[in-house]
Amino acid sequence: MDGNIEFTMGLSDGLAWPWPIAVYLFFAGISGGALATALFLRFYKKQTTNTPFYKAAALISFVTISLGMLCLVLDLTNPLFFWRILVYYNLNSVMSIGVIALSVYIPLVAVIALFALEEEIRSIPALKALVPVIEKLKGIRRPCEVSVLVLALAVCAYTGFLISALVRFPIINTSVLPALFIASGISAGAAAAKMLAVSVFKEDLHSQDMKILHGAEWPIMIAEMLFIFMIVTSLMTGNAGAQSAFNAFHTGQWAAVFWFGVVGLGFGGPLLLNFATGKTFSHSAKAFYLSGVCAVAGMMCLRMFILYAGQLYAI
Amino acid sequence: MSENIERRRFLKCLGASSLILAPLGCSSVKEGESDANKPHYAMVFDQNKCTGCGECKEACNLANNLPEGKSRLLMEQHSGGLEGQSCPHCGKTTECGCERKFVRVSCQQCKNAPCVTVCPTGAAHRDEKTGIVTMDAAKCAGCKYCIAACPYDARFINKETDVADNCDFCLNSKLAIGELPACVQKCRYDALIFGDINDPTSYISKLLRVKDSVRIKPGFGTEPSLRYIPIVKLGV
Repeated sequence: MDGNIEFTMGLSDGLAWPWPIAVYLFFAGISGGALATALFLRFYKKQTTNTPFYKAAALISFVTISLGMLCLVLDLTNPLFFWRILVYYNLNSVMSIGVIALSVYIPLVAVIALFALEEEIRSIPALKALVPVIEKLKGIRRPCEVSVLVLALAVCAYTGFLISALVRFPIINTSVLPALFIASGISAGAAAAKMLAVSVFKEDLHSQDMKILHGAEWPIMIAEMLFIFMIVTSLMTGNAGAQSAFNAFHTGQWAAVFWFGVVGLGFGGPLLLNFATGKTFSHSAKAFYLSGVCAVAGMMCLRMFILYAGQLYAI
Repeated sequence: MSENIERRRFLKCLGASSLILAPLGCSSVKEGESDANKPHYAMVFDQNKCTGCGECKEACNLANNLPEGKSRLLMEQHSGGLEGQSCPHCGKTTECGCERKFVRVSCQQCKNAPCVTVCPTGAAHRDEKTGIVTMDAAKCAGCKYCIAACPYDARFINKETDVADNCDFCLNSKLAIGELPACVQKCRYDALIFGDINDPTSYISKLLRVKDSVRIKPGFGTEPSLRYIPIVKLGV
């Protein structure tokens, strides 16, 4: 018997997860990526002072994860139901595990931000009340940093696992997604923190820290490209459902977002600004900021593409 | 006709067996030793009998107090013309004489339900007694993870309660008072059959033994409990 009976209608009226979730994935990636990079650098170079990059990363990390949470709560059908996620748990659910990780990560990021911005907090009279808190917590700074490094990477990966559990979307349901989200989170997070370090915390554009970060940028970008290439080839050569999802890469507006936003802006932008221009320009502040903005915008496009194009092509 | 008698008998058996089984539940038999003792409720949709009248949907809305414009089930028309619309089968806008095929779109009551797995609060859960996938509205946070995860796109947000909803075979409305699901009761053409497929004497078990039936997208590994008897046209 021909088992060919299907239905194509749905009951949910459109996309289950619209843009606030993409923005949340973006913010969580930046938060985790920025802090992980700063802590990597701190441990690698055995830094003990609060470097401008560390300060910038801590500040960005805290602000972005807070904004991300705001997006998440506002996307609930009724934001007042938010407490239910914090009270009831289902350990089979990726989201539940993520909630546990985030509820440890966010307070720890706040503590790290307190440590990193100690000087600034001391200089602002209105924040004087925080000084004794910092003094009290100083003893556990190292364990806080180690655990927040692990959690930062976990949060980046979690955003990938969260959506890769959606079985009916071939673009989203891929095991490479968490790795891709860690890589793109690190590159965009580092870029954002670098820009803030130079503009607000007066880091020298050509300091040693910046050089190491610039050097690490390219291998991470190559890893990102590789992961995207893996997803594209597996869709192109996969079964009928995967092949239809491959259309997302060459037809429709999301293909444009992918090619102009992710590939052009995210990869092409920094590459051209650094290697295709003269040495004086590529070492200038202008090129630095432009390529940073390109990296961050590219990552946002990547999240939008994965979420929207992903949900558009269901099996 | 025959099925109506069967249905009555099914209900009688349901009542009688509960009398017999209830004391057994209090005995020393360990819970979860064998799944065969637990019911596995399933529904059969017979495409050969469905005319697409839509009364099942109305009955469902009424039984489950759903808000205007929302329902837990839809009928998708696969061929045959609707006034003013081109026939999805032959493309003609005038009367085309194509046979009508309808497919029930609703929760597939998966044995391995992605919505239950992904739900962060346990609001989308399996009813302990019946094994039916249902909602605990008091726990649902409205994250829509279940909606995104459902391979059948069979879940939705109930605008009145702001929480997710799905067809649960009328677990809390009709089954609770010992009746068949509202859609099954209402169907004039006997296109819907409901029962326990773990009980070999149930009508649905007997039907499935003699009829070929298919499940939608079994490849997802969700093991849906909704079965479809398709129209198979033989010959020219």
